[in-house]
Amino acid sequence: MTQTRNPLARAGIYAVLVLFTIYNVLPFCWTILNSLKLPKDANSRTPRFIFQPTGEHYADLWLNMRPEDFAPYGLALLLVVFALVVIVFYANRLPAPNALIYAGVAVAGLALLLGLPRVVNTAEFYDYLVNSVIVTLGTLLISLSFGALAGYGLARYRHVISVVILVLALAFRSLPSLALVLPFYYLGQLSGLYDTHILLILCLVAVNQPFTIWMLRSFFMEIPREIEEAAMIDGAGRLRSFVSVIVPIMGPGIITTGLFTLLLAYNDFLLARILTQINWTLPVGIAQWTGGEDPGHITLAAAGSVSVTLPILVVIIFFQKYLIRGLASGAVKG
Amino acid sequence: MPRRTFAFFVAPSLIIMLALMTLPLLASVVLGMHYITFRNLDAPLWVGWQNYEQALADREFWDSLEFTLVFIAATVPTRIVLGLIFALLLDQIKRFRGAFIAAALVPFVMTPVVGTLIFRDMFDRGGPYWYWMQQLFDYRLFMDSTTVPLLIIFHNIWTATPFAMIVLFAGLQTLPQESLEAAKVDGASWLRQLWHVAIPHLRSLFVFIALISIMDAYRVFDSVFVLTQQNSIYDAETIMYYNFQVALTFGRLGKANAMSVLTVIGIFVVLIPFLVMTYREQVEEV
Repeated sequence: MTQTRNPLARAGIYAVLVLFTIYNVLPFCWTILNSLKLPKDANSRTPRFIFQPTGEHYADLWLNMRPEDFAPYGLALLLVVFALVVIVFYANRLPAPNALIYAGVAVAGLALLLGLPRVVNTAEFYDYLVNSVIVTLGTLLISLSFGALAGYGLARYRHVISVVILVLALAFRSLPSLALVLPFYYLGQLSGLYDTHILLILCLVAVNQPFTIWMLRSFFMEIPREIEEAAMIDGAGRLRSFVSVIVPIMGPGIITTGLFTLLLAYNDFLLARILTQINWTLPVGIAQWTGGEDPGHITLAAAGSVSVTLPILVVIIFFQKYLIRGLASGAVKG
Repeated sequence: MPRRTFAFFVAPSLIIMLALMTLPLLASVVLGMHYITFRNLDAPLWVGWQNYEQALADREFWDSLEFTLVFIAATVPTRIVLGLIFALLLDQIKRFRGAFIAAALVPFVMTPVVGTLIFRDMFDRGGPYWYWMQQLFDYRLFMDSTTVPLLIIFHNIWTATPFAMIVLFAGLQTLPQESLEAAKVDGASWLRQLWHVAIPHLRSLFVFIALISIMDAYRVFDSVFVLTQQNSIYDAETIMYYNFQVALTFGRLGKANAMSVLTVIGIFVVLIPFLVMTYREQVEEV
């Protein structure tokens, strides 16, 4: 639409948008400040923006040992993580195939995450992180592979039955998850699966599946049929041509769908709260500070909040354009 | 694609949805007909429709439904209107667009439990918003049964406006250029362009946002859990939260199952027109 040329109006527009941005990010910035304050500054009756910073709350949150003792391990950890990031960045110039390098880095990262508590005395919060990572990756893996198969089938099979399945999925999308999780809780208690990763992953996959197939289907619809028909004429079967021809060009679609799945699994609170007892994920771990009146809780909860939010913000900002494309496509209908 | 290949592709997903969604739902109906607490998990007592009758006669159930409806009525239109306003503002500029959008993603992607905790700290004693309200309006915010429900509503608007904004902004970028050019040639003002070209074009997106928002607002839970601090003095229970309390705080699993079946029926009644609409839309394309 016509853009205004009036300089006063333009200044006004920018001013409103800057205020909107402050309103969006100020609470998180305030929490970062709180996480670095001494309890006396954090509990002050007037907000303090200038204070003597301390990192002790992060040490309390993550470690069961003195920060000084952790320092050498921490340095080594930073170096390894940095090396992994460099490898991912320059994957194109290395002599091995990219997929192999990414897989190697992923395995190394996971090994590092799971192995660290054997070397360093980590606190409970670290266990929540490990649980969150396992549950999120498990959900992503199952959800995307099942969803991609179904999304492809639904995009290519033009028949009323496809529509019935899609509408059924949309109805499932609207279910309050409590209606599903209570029977899961009951059956989990009886079968002994309660408080295991697998039960939580299955539940998250189920809740997420309707959305996944809707979104992936809309991406598959954009791919012309001729591409896999050419592969099939060359003698590849349906599944072969799907895996070797369609999936590689679906990269952006899978990343976009994966991001929404990641947000759902990582951010979930209700399912994890009901289906776990000790094997908490990060949101459940954070929620323990919600009712606290103890003055020390503000700073610890702030350090926890920043620790939970930073990884997801880094991922989202890195893949921002995929997320926005997904929102923009309106395919989020599912 | 032959039918058998289709079945092969769709089977894993369909099985998981049927096994992990339909079966639990049916199990809910049956469990709702039993008296179950933590003590008799393995020996539920058959009570027939008693739980359903109790849930329907439960005052707090209706109170929580009422607050949920107030919550939907307050948040869904607000986020669409605010989303449209900010989308139109973004549409007016070129520079820093990406930065404004990236910042708006922060409350949207943040873990809801964490986001609510952070939001509460801003309004708690000594937080910036608390302090500025006191300085500017001489108003001391105190967490009570008026302010906590308001904060729950306000928090939802804070996190959900960016979603509406990004969807509508993307919609504004795909306006039909011919009609827009024609309007400009005719000398139509910005307001007329908005009313006669943009709004009709965005209509399907409004429906889409409303649909998603109603579904999500109906089951709001995390922010209630954090802002009420699991304390019932604030009168801010939503239907999901009250249902959760009946299950885990009061330990009445049978009654909780009956309640969740009732809430599922409630949302389906609202959604049936949308589902029928989607079915018609999609069948036309086949």
